[in-house]
Amino acid sequence: MLRGNASISSLAQSAATINQYSQETIEFNDVVCFQMTMEMRNQAREAVLPPALHPTIPASLSLQVWEVGSSIWGQFTMAVCRIACRSGVRARGFTSRVYVSSESVAEKLATTFGFPASVAELSFRHSYDGADIHVIRDGEKILSVASLNPEPMGLNDVQYTGTLSLAHTPNGLRLVQLEAQHSCSRVERLSSRLVTFVPEAWGNALFDPYTVVSSSIANQSVSFPPVRFVCKPDELAFTGTEAVKIDQ
Amino acid sequence: MKFGIFFELSTPRPFTREAEWHVYHNALEQCRLADQLGFDHVWAVEHHFLEGYSHSSAPEVFLSAVAAQTQRIRVGHGAVVCVPEMNHPVRVAERAAALDILSNGRVELGTARSSTWTELGGFGVNPDDTKKTWEEFVRVLPQMWTRDEFEWQGKAFSMPSRNVLPKPHQNPHPPMWVTVTSPGTELDAADRGLGCLGVSAAGYEEQERRTKEYHRRIQHCDPVGGLINDQVHTMNFLFCDEDYRKARDVGVPMVNSFNIANSHLYWTREAYPSNAYQTLGNAGAGMKPKKTDADDPSVAKGLPEGVGVGDPDHLVETIKRWESVGVTGINFLLNAMEMIPQQQVLDSMRLFAKEVMPQFQSAQQRSAPVYTPAIIPSFKKGSF
Repeated sequence: MLRGNASISSLAQSAATINQYSQETIEFNDVVCFQMTMEMRNQAREAVLPPALHPTIPASLSLQVWEVGSSIWGQFTMAVCRIACRSGVRARGFTSRVYVSSESVAEKLATTFGFPASVAELSFRHSYDGADIHVIRDGEKILSVASLNPEPMGLNDVQYTGTLSLAHTPNGLRLVQLEAQHSCSRVERLSSRLVTFVPEAWGNALFDPYTVVSSSIANQSVSFPPVRFVCKPDELAFTGTEAVKIDQ
Repeated sequence: MKFGIFFELSTPRPFTREAEWHVYHNALEQCRLADQLGFDHVWAVEHHFLEGYSHSSAPEVFLSAVAAQTQRIRVGHGAVVCVPEMNHPVRVAERAAALDILSNGRVELGTARSSTWTELGGFGVNPDDTKKTWEEFVRVLPQMWTRDEFEWQGKAFSMPSRNVLPKPHQNPHPPMWVTVTSPGTELDAADRGLGCLGVSAAGYEEQERRTKEYHRRIQHCDPVGGLINDQVHTMNFLFCDEDYRKARDVGVPMVNSFNIANSHLYWTREAYPSNAYQTLGNAGAGMKPKKTDADDPSVAKGLPEGVGVGDPDHLVETIKRWESVGVTGINFLLNAMEMIPQQQVLDSMRLFAKEVMPQFQSAQQRSAPVYTPAIIPSFKKGSF
């Protein structure tokens, strides 16, 4: 079977640390969420995932950019890069890198949910005619997306999959599973173009998003429930999954 | 209750030419044995680019060999993907008719629209259109098979008046089916008088709900062709051994291996927002785990309910349960990734035929026609 073969120690260099599992559900309101899926060539599909995870056929990378209007952590903008994968037989995304406009939110995402998050300058313009996104890190543009021609979709027409992030946890180095709940009030599909993408800045020089499959933009509220499961990064989910103990 | 076997022609890595040769030829040997043992159907799917999971991209060619090497088993060509970028409807009608002639009228035709971006993206198909094109295909195929002049102006295709040849051996035409992955598609099948060919295994409770509504709706259908095919067949796995524990030891890894390979596919819903795709794949999606939390990725350690792995007594009990919820046939996957040695697969089929099949209708009883004749709609030129 296909499974990842990336070096765990290499992936762990950017791993966040969760000292204690939170029991709190975090609510994000007035969120505008842009999601874009892209195919990658298959030559590196196993090399970008830890052995616990299976790649998709074909390999796929997705970007999510969030503008959060209100939350207990305040307003912020966030860009998340994920590799589509399977944990056991379930559809997931392996988080390779997250950039956030706020240093305090980046820290909270890292210490609560294990996101490999750091600070960057994000610009997310969205309007009736489309959207434009730019991410600048240390003065270098690492992402630029141009989107046009929004068309209305049904509220359930877009799929958001659960996220797995490699992090140091009370269980050890683990893939932390986050099942975000998205509740949409408006969804549109867009035609998008990936103008700039610096693979190294998004976690792996092997990333090769050569063709855009789709993109969407949605108004929604999102909740992050407490972490319930983690998985050993070198063991398949069938045997490597551990339930999180609340008192840890 | 009818019994069939079906083939994805899943292939173990590395994909050597020899590995693919063995998969195809082992499957043919299983078809010959199934024909002798009294199985009713052999189905071969159509899939493209699905590495490992299915190397069955030219099922009409495989089934021609099946037809030539068997005497009585019915030949299930399906499901054919009903999108014009993959199959022109004229070619679907022609191939099915030729296969029906060569098999002496043993063809059943399954129709589908594909659920993976792996396939749709590979052929440049717009996912928004696949339900529409499937609808057009299932309405025109009976016309092509039964009219000397066929012309059409539609969305999926248009053509001037032609005689689509050859005509099938069966009169008026082969029975038609729809593969059902997403909940609700069984109602599309019922409303058009088409058989329901389940390809994602559901638990008893879910299947009962779907089957009951299907059988109710098909009584009032508007048939697309000359037959009303009021049948619900489901997919399952088969490994039968006198020793229950051994059956589980051999069969469970096969089931898990198939489900894992299935899960690797890139589902259309995951890749492309569209109201035409509302479910995320079919890897055990509808199957009801016996225990534990559904979000827990470790559930695949055990088998969902109703799986055809076990000793003969267990299988009789399992199939009777399926029968009790309105299922009229089960199509079994016999192997996955060649995990089970061929001799064990053949032994499992023989034991099933000897100990389990006699507990249900005889092969002779099962061969009785189950189709209701219908009047083929009279449209000629297309109404799209």
